[in-house]
Amino acid sequence: MSRLKGDVAVAGIGEVPTGRYPERDCMDGCVISAVQAIADAGIKKDSIDFVIPCGTVFSSAYNSDLVTSRVVEELGLKGIHNNAQVFSGGASSASILKVAGSLVESGIARNVLCVHSDKLGTGLSGQAGIDLFAYAGIHREWEVPFGQHYSSIAGLVTTRYKHETGTTDEQITAVQVSNRKWAELNPNAMFRKPLTIEEVMASKMLSTPIRAKHSNMLADGGAAFIVTSAERARDLTDTPVYVLGSGGRVTHHSLSQEADLTRFGYADAAADAFAEAGLSPKDIDIAEIYDSYPIFELIALEEMGFVERGQGGAFFLEGRTWPGGELPTTTNGGMSSQGHTGGGGGVAILVEAFRQLMGKAGERQVPDARFAAVSATGGTYVDAQIEILGNQIS
Amino acid sequence: MTQSEERPCRPEPEVSRVGAPFWEAARNGKLIIQHCRSCNENIFYPRIRCPKCHSDALDWIEASGKGVIYSYSVVQNNAPSGFLADMPYVVAIVRLPEGVQMLTNIVDCDPDSIHCDMPVEVVFRQVENFDLPLFRPAGNK
Ligand SMILES: [Zn+2]
Repeated sequence: MSRLKGDVAVAGIGEVPTGRYPERDCMDGCVISAVQAIADAGIKKDSIDFVIPCGTVFSSAYNSDLVTSRVVEELGLKGIHNNAQVFSGGASSASILKVAGSLVESGIARNVLCVHSDKLGTGLSGQAGIDLFAYAGIHREWEVPFGQHYSSIAGLVTTRYKHETGTTDEQITAVQVSNRKWAELNPNAMFRKPLTIEEVMASKMLSTPIRAKHSNMLADGGAAFIVTSAERARDLTDTPVYVLGSGGRVTHHSLSQEADLTRFGYADAAADAFAEAGLSPKDIDIAEIYDSYPIFELIALEEMGFVERGQGGAFFLEGRTWPGGELPTTTNGGMSSQGHTGGGGGVAILVEAFRQLMGKAGERQVPDARFAAVSATGGTYVDAQIEILGNQIS
Repeated sequence: MTQSEERPCRPEPEVSRVGAPFWEAARNGKLIIQHCRSCNENIFYPRIRCPKCHSDALDWIEASGKGVIYSYSVVQNNAPSGFLADMPYVVAIVRLPEGVQMLTNIVDCDPDSIHCDMPVEVVFRQVENFDLPLFRPAGNK
């Protein structure tokens, strides 16, 4: 069990709107969200001593800039001891928080700027985006030659899950509707018009049973947050958010090598995180669950212990995850509605958890939220990462 | 002139050093998997060391060629470039009785007839310069 509980906090957040912004450079997303996070934390820029830029997918040249301290130079940060990239695809949010928290806990760093930006919406053509995700993280000897890509991956998982649980397409689709209910209230989301089950079910079939509107949408976006000690966070801001527990499991690299397509490692990861926090699912006010496709949000919610296996679909369909529902879930709208910015999809969900616990979520603020559980997963859903956060120490 | 001529080919496997014998056997219509002499584990895909015990005492054994579909998905739209001409095609994970799983395509049947846990058997099909191990419904000669 880690020693971060209650000792590490997030003091500030920033985010640029997610969507298609051809006129916005990728570095704009980094710099603007970082400046916001620094201001939100009320921290002097030169007291930041460590920068963690998340990996960027749309351009390896741009990513090389991040690796070699361009963010430090752009922001004129004069107190930086290290700039080190942390990247585990969609699970980067969890990895960055664990690394930044450990640096602070150990004393290696005092104040860590964590920042992400990507340009997957306008930095690539449509087919280039499809082709990028036909290779990224997919085994080039044993899976690529058979036409594996992210829609077929979601299709394989959804098909087996339906087979084992009897969950219907309508229930799975209800995840998209729930996410959209939240995105309607999120000015940074890409898609904000109401969405119906009928509309999703009428969209074109990509890879059975996944339809176009079950899919996330590649987008431009960026977000940032400042990790520091709990003590310094309390001095800086009235709204620190504490890291209370974390857990993770890596189960495969290639989807075909996963032993249980309907569970992955969420149950064990969540058990570790809840044990460290001294909390259980019934104590959680908000579930910020990584989607990218509805099936992964459904499986995570069940395996983390919020709802019984096979009952998740009905839970979403009944509106229990919606604004005003008993378990507000994925309150930024997830990658299906806010948009998928590569490694940033998970960062946006993590930042949303901070935002809610800081009481800064505007129209979609969950009243009296104290504790949030956050999930993330990367690549072909290779891992299950869980963080428990709170605006008080549990 | 046809659209398919303008489309990119299906991507060939990027053959690894340890995977090369598999592709050579496939050319001769044999489905082989690794077997660890140290711990008796059957292994697929081919590994540099046994993933269970890290031994390098790895042999090849011929698999029965039988399997069951663990899960599947029929790709109908938005395939990767090299597969646009093949749509609809079926991606599946097949579990072999030897205790390993592999990604493949299901062929020689109506995609609507496919279901989870369906028995299948291997059939090799040439794609570009490779013979890929694909699967068809068992007993469907
Ligand atoms: Zn062995």
